[in-house]
Amino acid sequence: MTTAPLIKVEGLTKRFGGLVAVEDLSFDVESGEILALIGPNGAGKTTTFNLIAGVLVPSAGHIALDGQRIDGMPVHRIAGLGMMRTFQHNMPFAGMSLTANVLIGSHRKLRASVLDILAGRSFVRDEETQARQRAGELIDFVGLNAYRGADVTTLSFGEGRLLEIARALAGSPRVILLDEPAAGLTTAEISRLSAMIRRIAADGVSVLLVEHDMHFLLPLAHRVVVLNFGRKIAEGGSRDIVRDPAVKEAYLGEAAGALREGAPDA
Amino acid sequence: MRALLWLASIIAASLLAFMLGGYATDVYRKMLVWIALALSYNFLFGVAGQIAFSQFAFAGVGAYGVVILAHKLGLPFGVALAGAIALCSLLAFIVAVPSTRLEGFYLALATLAFAQLFLVVVNEGGDLTGGTGGIAGYRLPDVFGYTLRGPWYTVVLVLLVALTLHILLRLERSSFGRACRAIKDNPAVAAAMGIDVRRTKVITFTLTSTLAGLAGAAYAYVDNVINPPVFGLDNIFLLLFMIIVGGMGRPAGAMLGAVLLYLAPFVLEPIVGHAYLVLFGVLVVLAILFQPKGLIGLIDRLVDRLGPEQRA
Repeated sequence: MTTAPLIKVEGLTKRFGGLVAVEDLSFDVESGEILALIGPNGAGKTTTFNLIAGVLVPSAGHIALDGQRIDGMPVHRIAGLGMMRTFQHNMPFAGMSLTANVLIGSHRKLRASVLDILAGRSFVRDEETQARQRAGELIDFVGLNAYRGADVTTLSFGEGRLLEIARALAGSPRVILLDEPAAGLTTAEISRLSAMIRRIAADGVSVLLVEHDMHFLLPLAHRVVVLNFGRKIAEGGSRDIVRDPAVKEAYLGEAAGALREGAPDA
Repeated sequence: MRALLWLASIIAASLLAFMLGGYATDVYRKMLVWIALALSYNFLFGVAGQIAFSQFAFAGVGAYGVVILAHKLGLPFGVALAGAIALCSLLAFIVAVPSTRLEGFYLALATLAFAQLFLVVVNEGGDLTGGTGGIAGYRLPDVFGYTLRGPWYTVVLVLLVALTLHILLRLERSSFGRACRAIKDNPAVAAAMGIDVRRTKVITFTLTSTLAGLAGAAYAYVDNVINPPVFGLDNIFLLLFMIIVGGMGRPAGAMLGAVLLYLAPFVLEPIVGHAYLVLFGVLVVLAILFQPKGLIGLIDRLVDRLGPEQRA
């Protein structure tokens, strides 16, 4: 590919006092690519994720989205540039309907200022109509059509996860960050989720996943970055990763078995 | 259809003004001012979840502002009114910018301080504010050649409520209102969805405080007297009670709460004296414990129960 990567992480380091959570981490994500970030507990996956989403500010290094540096930017501005996320523990807006929840995701695309709204300008209504239509399509896409007007607190855990994805997609993201999307889902839900993520990536959206579930992740990811103790120990396709001696070393024990089982059939 | 409903409501509320006697007119007018204040406070506290105690202080800035500019400094009334409202917006903005952090009680503390500071300023303002006695003996000048006296001034207050309601409903039903509700529920997640939390909070606070100022300016010509106690902290708690009892986050609830709690003392005071305040306290506790959606929530449930039968 001749185009520049959509996300470029270079020399990323995060220290919490004396603890180095992430050290000199570099990797790229291309448009439409599904990149998984894996590693044993405490490897720095979540820290990396939060650094990219802007929740944490790096101690050193930088992160660029489409050539623009985003490290140190406020969270809402990073989202405004087209980086949308889901949360590991579902975080719906409790007092709102399902549709309203998804509409919140479209916020970055809305141009109406308070003055436009107060003046009742016609584009405000058009924009809202469009956003509602798109929200309806996304609710269809994730398969929650039956719950449109429902109180989101009545959704099951799996349904809540699908809402998270619909809400993130409502912002027409260029990158979507998924924080352990398969956690807590049933096998049937996981296979639907995989298909959904493939479709999202096929539309040119980059997908960055943090995940524990190897059965889910290895067949899905185009590329895997393996972290251990805050450092990158391997990077490559799923098949190469499971054969990598350094990765096997890091995953000694139960997880090593999971790595083998989850590998796509040759 | 909706426009007709608005028009009918405004006409009905205005006609009432022409049917009331002197005492009832005074009660009606003050009730309208309370409704206007409850509506804007409901948006700030009930919809946007910002805890602030400055609603009456900004009403005071509006009231003192217009009276001082028009009658002490002799500016034309239109200029004085615009100046008072602009002053409210400016002060609200100045209070909001440093105090609307992502979380915490900065705004509550800052607005409490602002409310106290306002009282000190008007009490100690000497000739300009009239000190503890306030300002009296002024009259509403003709506005665009119209003399607004008697029931016609009550109509002005009806229009004030209608304008406040119109502005707040438009905001609430827009993407801005949605963003406010999202921030109330979870500011961190709202930010991750691309909402500028701080900016939204500053705009909300400035706007609702400005609406409070407008209501205050209108109040200044209800009795043609203004004095400090009205704008003190006692009233802010009554306003809070109105919203909680009526139904937090719902304009209809705020209006219902304002009407009931404003009128209740007229009925209760002859029977139980000042103990009606205790009754208010009990009512608020009951609402919080058993009916968090307030009276409007009860009405919703009644309508739901009646609805299917009527349709059948």
